Amino acid sequence: MKMIFLLSWRNVWRNRRRSLVVITSIGLGILMMFFMMGISKGMNYQMVDNTISTSLGHVSVHRKGFLDNIKPSYSFVPDEDFMERMKSSKGFSWAPRVKVQAMIRSSESSRGVMIAGIDPERERTVSGIYEYTSKENGSDFLKSSEARDILISKRTAEKLDLVVGDRLVLILQDVHGEMTGEALTVKGIFSSPVGDFDKHVVFTGLKNLQRITGIGSRISEITIKAENRDLSYRIKKRVEPWLKSTDVVVKTWQEMAPSIVSAIRLYDSMMYVFFAIVFTTIVFSVANTMVMAIMERFHEIGVMKCLGTKPLNIFIMILIESLNLGLLGMAAGMIAGGLVLGVLTVTGLDLSFFSETMSILGSGTVIYPVVTVKDFFASMVIVSCTAVIAALYPAVKAARIRPLKALHFI
Amino acid sequence: MGKGVRMKVIEIKNLHKTYQSNGQEVHALRGIDLDIESGEFSAIAGPSGSGKTTLLNVMGGIDRPDEGDVIISGQTMKGLSESELSKIRLNRIGFIFQAYNLIPVLSAVENVEYVMLLQGVEKHERREKALAMLRDVGLEKESHRRPAQLSGGQQQRVAVARAIVSGPEIVLADEPTANLDQKTGSSLLDLMKNLNHERGTTFLFSTHDPMVMDRAERLIRITDGRITL
Repeated sequence: MKMIFLLSWRNVWRNRRRSLVVITSIGLGILMMFFMMGISKGMNYQMVDNTISTSLGHVSVHRKGFLDNIKPSYSFVPDEDFMERMKSSKGFSWAPRVKVQAMIRSSESSRGVMIAGIDPERERTVSGIYEYTSKENGSDFLKSSEARDILISKRTAEKLDLVVGDRLVLILQDVHGEMTGEALTVKGIFSSPVGDFDKHVVFTGLKNLQRITGIGSRISEITIKAENRDLSYRIKKRVEPWLKSTDVVVKTWQEMAPSIVSAIRLYDSMMYVFFAIVFTTIVFSVANTMVMAIMERFHEIGVMKCLGTKPLNIFIMILIESLNLGLLGMAAGMIAGGLVLGVLTVTGLDLSFFSETMSILGSGTVIYPVVTVKDFFASMVIVSCTAVIAALYPAVKAARIRPLKALHFI
Repeated sequence: MGKGVRMKVIEIKNLHKTYQSNGQEVHALRGIDLDIESGEFSAIAGPSGSGKTTLLNVMGGIDRPDEGDVIISGQTMKGLSESELSKIRLNRIGFIFQAYNLIPVLSAVENVEYVMLLQGVEKHERREKALAMLRDVGLEKESHRRPAQLSGGQQQRVAVARAIVSGPEIVLADEPTANLDQKTGSSLLDLMKNLNHERGTTFLFSTHDPMVMDRAERLIRITDGRITL
């Protein structure tokens, strides 16, 4: 077997230029695969993380039907035992919120929004709204839960022609279904990577919104942030049994935003199609090279068979030769891919010229690629399989060479 | 090793072979009967197209006859599968080709080792035997050179070493001197003659080279697919 490996390895280098072309093409395929996979995954991660850090949280506790009816009447009072457990729990942070559909109006214009009443201190532990709020030109994050202040996005400020310190009118339906209004002062201006969020969400203090809506100490939801997004189901399983009311439910971000999950799946599917195209090209490229190599060595393989080499050994020799090409190409691609992705992991890939699109996707304009160890192993398996599949036809052809015919072949 | 009691290594019985060439039927062998005994140093001679290469191919299990049988040391080759024929070629027959046919990516010693490797000989023993064989053919110093770095005569010596290193019952050599100049060809024949004499290896050549015919102990003449004594 060692001699078969030796023969296969040396045969790779018989036509150095041709082998290098194949190795380079496989390497480029791998590099493209890693690049596309890294950017796509990075974009997905950032899209999910930004959505989680702006609105969803990893897990949310709210009344049944709340997500379809963001109204004061869908608020609830969490029981004391539940709150005690939440306060003493470790491994996640949480914050209460009140969410209501409303309208804000300036002297210039008006806009329909969703206003979230937040506890400024707790909110900083579950969302990125504090970081997204500008601390310049008088803009600042909410200081008090009771103050009649409001945070609006830069986009909304531009639309309504508002600056920090201006007053706007908030109009909403209270818990009794009556229209009510309140003048609020613009405390801060925020700008998040999620365009839709900036367009439709504003913030005020939790107690302020409870007062305006007349819901007392009731809240709309408790938002939970885990250490990472993959722990959402585990947190849900932990928190769910603490609830006594069957009217209150626990939902993970995947359950609250199935469209994001579908979008990620769609991205993945598109990547698989892309990889399939790349690897089909590689299969034909390697198969073509191997067929040429066998035609050149037709006589030699015939001599080997004359000497008593079994067809199986010839078959294995060709497979290993192809595998050598594949593995060398993969090593080249991995080194190049590692270098490119290594640099991009630090610098990020600036796609600000697509800022509108990126804002719609919610991924931010600078994408940091993500490639996991699993991806490396997956590509190793894929390339090895590709090389073996590519060599099957040439290997069978070589194994079937008849010595007599080959001896007469010059 | 001298030549003691001679045994039949190959028995050929009523061998017929016809093939198509440019749409015409060619009767390459027309009822050949022939015995080759151990220790022989024989040549099959005849003009081009007389059937000598076809006869050698059928004897070596590379080609199959239409009729008749080849028996190697009592083992008939009739009805054997490709894999069984391959096993006979590996263990009982050594081949020397006109164009040397060494494996270009292997060094001289690796080429000599190749057949033993297929036979499953242990690495250390394999290398030792291959080097000893190269020493016997005068190429010890060239053992790590690849075929492209050797002259035609040296390559054919490696081919001889490869053919006999595993101790086959017979070595079939198809026009071994055809690609060599007279001096090199003569030296190669001396080498094979020595190996025949010292090791008792049976050699059977196909040739139309008068020098080979002169050195052969037995000359088998073949014309139009028939042996003509």
